[in-house]
Amino acid sequence: MGMILELEQIQKYYGNEGNITKALGGISFAVEEGEFLGIMGASGSGKTTLLNCISTIDTVSAGHIYMYGQQIGLPDAKPAQRIDITQMKAKELARFRRENLGFVFQDFNLLDTLTISENIALALAINKVPAGEVEGRVEEMCEKLNIGDILHKYPYQVSGGQKQRCACARALINHPKLLLADEPTGALDSHSARMLLSTMQRINEQLCATILMVTHDAFTASYASRILFLKDGAVFTELRKGDDERSTFFHKILNVLTMIGGGQSHVCETRV
Amino acid sequence: MYAKLVFRNAKRSVKEYLVYLVTMTICVTLFYSFLSISSKYYQPDIGVEYHFGILGDGMKYAVCAVTLLLLFLISYVNRYMMRSRQKEFALQAIMGMEQKTIGMLFLAETFVMGFIAIGLGIFLGMFGSQLITAMVLSTYEQEFHITWTLFPDTVLLTVGFFVLSFIIVGLLNLRTIRKIKIIDMLSADRENEPSLRKSRQIPVTIILFEILTVWMLAGGIEKKYFYFDRRLPLPVHIMFWGNILAPAVTLLWSAIWLVRKQGIIRSSRPAKHISDKAVSSAGTDVQKVVMSANAAESSQRRCIDRKRDTLLTGLLVCALFQTLFAAIVPSMQNKYYLSMGTGTVNQYMMFVLGNLLFIICAVIYLANTVLVAWKERSPEHRYHNQNLFFYGQITTKLSTTNQTMTLICATLVLAIFLLMAAPVLIGWAFGFLEIRSKYDVQISTGYTGVYEEAELPRGDYEFVTEYLEENGIETAYDLTFDLYLPKREDFHRRVKYDFPAVAISLHDYNVIREMLGYDMVSLKDNEFTTQWQSIATADDRDRFLKENGEIVTDTGRLTLAEKDCYTEELGETLYNRYTDVLLVFPDSVCERLLPVMRNRYITTTDKISYVQACGLEELFLSVYPENADSGADYYIRMRTLQVNGTKADMFVLQAVMLYGAVVLMVICFTVLSLQQLLDSAHYKYRFSVLRKLGVEEKDIGRLVLGQLGVWFGLPVGAAVCVAAVIVAYYVQSVSVQITAYIGFGVLFAQMALTGVILFLLLLSYFISTWILFKSSVEA
Repeated sequence: MGMILELEQIQKYYGNEGNITKALGGISFAVEEGEFLGIMGASGSGKTTLLNCISTIDTVSAGHIYMYGQQIGLPDAKPAQRIDITQMKAKELARFRRENLGFVFQDFNLLDTLTISENIALALAINKVPAGEVEGRVEEMCEKLNIGDILHKYPYQVSGGQKQRCACARALINHPKLLLADEPTGALDSHSARMLLSTMQRINEQLCATILMVTHDAFTASYASRILFLKDGAVFTELRKGDDERSTFFHKILNVLTMIGGGQSHVCETRV
Repeated sequence: MYAKLVFRNAKRSVKEYLVYLVTMTICVTLFYSFLSISSKYYQPDIGVEYHFGILGDGMKYAVCAVTLLLLFLISYVNRYMMRSRQKEFALQAIMGMEQKTIGMLFLAETFVMGFIAIGLGIFLGMFGSQLITAMVLSTYEQEFHITWTLFPDTVLLTVGFFVLSFIIVGLLNLRTIRKIKIIDMLSADRENEPSLRKSRQIPVTIILFEILTVWMLAGGIEKKYFYFDRRLPLPVHIMFWGNILAPAVTLLWSAIWLVRKQGIIRSSRPAKHISDKAVSSAGTDVQKVVMSANAAESSQRRCIDRKRDTLLTGLLVCALFQTLFAAIVPSMQNKYYLSMGTGTVNQYMMFVLGNLLFIICAVIYLANTVLVAWKERSPEHRYHNQNLFFYGQITTKLSTTNQTMTLICATLVLAIFLLMAAPVLIGWAFGFLEIRSKYDVQISTGYTGVYEEAELPRGDYEFVTEYLEENGIETAYDLTFDLYLPKREDFHRRVKYDFPAVAISLHDYNVIREMLGYDMVSLKDNEFTTQWQSIATADDRDRFLKENGEIVTDTGRLTLAEKDCYTEELGETLYNRYTDVLLVFPDSVCERLLPVMRNRYITTTDKISYVQACGLEELFLSVYPENADSGADYYIRMRTLQVNGTKADMFVLQAVMLYGAVVLMVICFTVLSLQQLLDSAHYKYRFSVLRKLGVEEKDIGRLVLGQLGVWFGLPVGAAVCVAAVIVAYYVQSVSVQITAYIGFGVLFAQMALTGVILFLLLLSYFISTWILFKSSVEA
């Protein structure tokens, strides 16, 4: 497995000259292909800002974000060539997002004007996938995520868990190199959250999808294989699951959170 | 503090208020411009023979009536503003501000904007007023000079009208804000419009249409029963039968549909029965059963929806035929002088309008179905780039705003028709005026109420001569003459389409021609010639002349002279009722015929003033009151009064039609624009999702343009098509008058002008909506 993403001294400041707020203060890390990386931290620690910068929705103030040429499939890139996505132009960025990234958000980001299947198909249509393939791929993906029976319903006719699985299906349908998830279980009940996380774990293992998930919930984070803890815009520490059981990993996460100072306030009352 | 808040809010939300400001300014400008000529300080020099009071008063009432439409617009725009600010109101309420205070602040804000609009509007109205003055003076054939005047009474009336409107609408808003719950204000932008599939609008529309159809069927049968005659020509047969068969087929179609629908509902019942059984049986997976029952129900619903579309498509086709058959009634009635009972034309015009409204409603509703069908047509089309998103945007909005779109479309049709019909009516009236007011004084008679020869009109109208002498009015020409029936027995021919033409003696005819500056005519002793009204067609003339090469009179036979027809304008009182031809006989022949009408034409050397003309008219009416016992009708027409009345009426009519059309168009485009801007929060979210999915800005721009294009294009396109049909029908039914009085060149010029006005208004609203929409969905 090669490297897919590398961040080098990422900084992000908000505001103008007189009133500057530091959101990210020089973050560096790398992500391996097929890894399930969790990013944790208290409110205001810079988790979402970091995700927005990686996803190119926001720009960085300083630093570089590299994706590896071979992985991101740039036609004229050499196998080991790093592409700095912070230097890309707007048009290139849209294409980059389209072809390489998949998004899952807390509030689903589904279009209420389209059915579940159309929401998923839209991602393929935007990527100019031949029309003949679209319906087959949508059905296949929906079967994998157990939403095959709600294909013709509208988002407002299905549950939150189903919506989020639909968002996952849409994010994965183009086989993105990197799946970015921002608090994916934030709007779900515990049952739906478990189902979604199991699904994400399965697609990580079976489809070798690289997942980068931001969460403040220890239980959700315990599904990841590695966790980066952010504090005040910097990496505080890193935790690897290794061969641990998920429950052991969960307790280790809790310990780190206590150390950071977030304490029990960041622990969900959920049995592991 | 509150005042500061009001001004800051108004300043901050100036972009949001842009549409409001533009619309209000246009309304104030139009109001001031048109009303300025009713000002008592407005004294244009239009000559002694004209009386300006008639025009001014007419304008004041007409403008105020049309302006009532603006109240609707003001209230609509206010509701839009209120809805877009509700989240802000909720925050202020949560912070502890009283809802009454919030309402007052909003009222004050709209007042600030309103006053800016009034100020701007009156300023622009000064330019508009010049345009109207130019129109007035051109109507009265006077020269136009620019005069920059601000009329205080018009300013006061304008300010008063709009302030009163703001107060009324503002108080209603205040009441709404005071009553609304904070939680509802917070969730205002998440509010969904009710789906049309679930709304009652379409079923209600269909029921109303069915009622109209039943009425049409009853009307058709009634007309056929009472007024049909087998001897009538084939087109009349088709008209009578069409007006029965078209509604009958419509009702038959609805009945077939109803039977088939019942069949669907019945056929789905056994499935439910089975599922009920399955639920009760032990060990069955209840969830699966419920799911299958739900699926069956939803498939039944889909099936019924499809059926409803089928019904509507059928009804649409039937409505087209119903419109066609109802629309030919007036022209058939005119052409064949059909007697179909009083109020028939109005009744059938109402049928046509009812059908057209239904057609508009059905077309807009079915546009959605067509779009969905088009989307479903092929995967290549459906999954091409952002087509899925585009169709989703359009169909969602269309399915929830059918009613508004129908209203907008119908209103636009009305506006286009007003613009198109104005020149025809005005040209017709002025052309008619030219013909009617050939003489300064014109006394005419009619014998349709007379059944005894002794009671036919006689006399020399000497009191008119005395009046003219008393007032020092010199006459240039003065002719009292008779019109004769070629055969005495024709006196009792009173069938409208077979009314006899009357004859004039050659001497009188030549005097009239001389009066109007035409060459004299000569005839041999046994010859006659003809004089034609301008509305008679060449076909009519040719047919008559072919059939009447020889005429039998009480004194013998007369043959058609070599120069057999004259078409100069000699006034319309020279002909018998329902006829377009006047026969010219030698004097010796006329001496022995029965005179049935006695007219007198006078031309004067000086113009008769307005006051003198009124006096003479009063005198005439006292001598020959309307509905005299003898049954003979006596009329007096004076150029001064005719020109005055017609010009004032026509100007008011023209101004009101123009003003009304522009106001209606402004209303339509404002509502269309606001419908899109109102949902900018939804759109911002949807376009942000697209961006996250990697859609380029260029494509998003294209989607926005396409969405607005369809949104504005559909009602305008539908309205233009429907209006084209109506205008074509209208032009065809008055084509004789158009050719005679206006000319098709002028009409086409007016069509082009209408197109330009429509296009300019559409363009300005489209561009401002596009700019605001783009900025509201920008990242």
